[in-house]
Amino acid sequence: MKKTLSLIAAAAALAGAAGAARAEAATYAIEPTHTYVTFEISHFGTSTNRGRFDKKEGSVTIDRAAKTGKAEITIDTTSINTGSDGFNKHLKSADLLNTEKNPTAKFVGDKFTFNGDKVAEIAGTLTLNGKTNPVVLKAQNFNCYMSPMIKKEVCGGDFDTTIVRSQYDIKFGLDWGFPDNVHLVIQVEGIKQ
Amino acid sequence: MHTGLRRLAAVLLGGGLLPWVAPAAQAAPQVYDLDPAHSFVTFELLHFGTSTIRGRFGPLEGQVTLDRAQPAGEVRLTVPVATLDTGWKVFDHRILGPELLAADAFPAAYFIATRFRFDPAGGVAEVRGEFTLRGHGEPLSLVAERFSCRQGARLQREVCGGDFTGRLQRSDFGLTFGLPFVGNEVTLKVQVEGIAR
Repeated sequence: MKKTLSLIAAAAALAGAAGAARAEAATYAIEPTHTYVTFEISHFGTSTNRGRFDKKEGSVTIDRAAKTGKAEITIDTTSINTGSDGFNKHLKSADLLNTEKNPTAKFVGDKFTFNGDKVAEIAGTLTLNGKTNPVVLKAQNFNCYMSPMIKKEVCGGDFDTTIVRSQYDIKFGLDWGFPDNVHLVIQVEGIKQ
Repeated sequence: MHTGLRRLAAVLLGGGLLPWVAPAAQAAPQVYDLDPAHSFVTFELLHFGTSTIRGRFGPLEGQVTLDRAQPAGEVRLTVPVATLDTGWKVFDHRILGPELLAADAFPAAYFIATRFRFDPAGGVAEVRGEFTLRGHGEPLSLVAERFSCRQGARLQREVCGGDFTGRLQRSDFGLTFGLPFVGNEVTLKVQVEGIAR
């Protein structure tokens, strides 16, 4: 009797796991209030200048059973915010991001690497200033939780990558020693749809 | 003595090696005014153990005094609290409201520090002092991730600065709203550059 019960329990557990696996592919809409890209670039080797893009939209699909995913995030480059009006204006100008000509940047990630059921890395492409190059975003944190406010699952984390701005034809100041490497720090959360 | 000559003399005399030749009174401390274009503090705290919330205050206001001959220093820095910018206005209002920073009653935060640790090259390695937020003071240590000085090409004056990191528990300042969903540990990332007076 005891053996039969444990067999039933095992069968139920397996069925449950299989059911869960079938339902693992889920789409998450980017939560704009917890999704930001901040850039960091060295200022004369002394301190770090930071700026944040405030407007963005997109979605992420994750299939934790198949270990696949797809991310598409569009960033409004005119929403750059450094805390310094002069710096914002210069960043938007044709010297740098040329936002009048290229008002959006886009990240498309289609190669997801998992560590267990957590996203560890997303490889894809970044289009910025009209140029597209491969990028790999590495996760510093990744987690999912049930939001007590919206009663839905939220997944997200912190990612970072370093881009070479000359590959995006953003070359202002390179000759005076402003670095070519720009560190991107990304906070992202998405709400399960 | 001309500033350049005095620095040269300090270098040649090796500062502390011959203290009787270069007494403290002659090695005048240099005051640096914070450069509003390059003086900001970004705070970081974890949201539901998942992603990092960031917000920026600044420009920071104030002065740093460095007396390299001693060596010693002093920081007097003001954070205008209403400059908070998280990228989300609703969130800014919530943080500035009475449940958290109470910016109407406490419009400024302060960092006053006189305990400097210098690296072997004479750069600032750590600054320890008191951070006052929401009218409540607590000890705070800011550790340099990098520090350097340069001759500002456009300004024709010396510019010193760096990146500093500090950590605090927000509950120590009475800021408990949102615990434990939003973390208690706050990381402060301070960008600072000062222009020699």
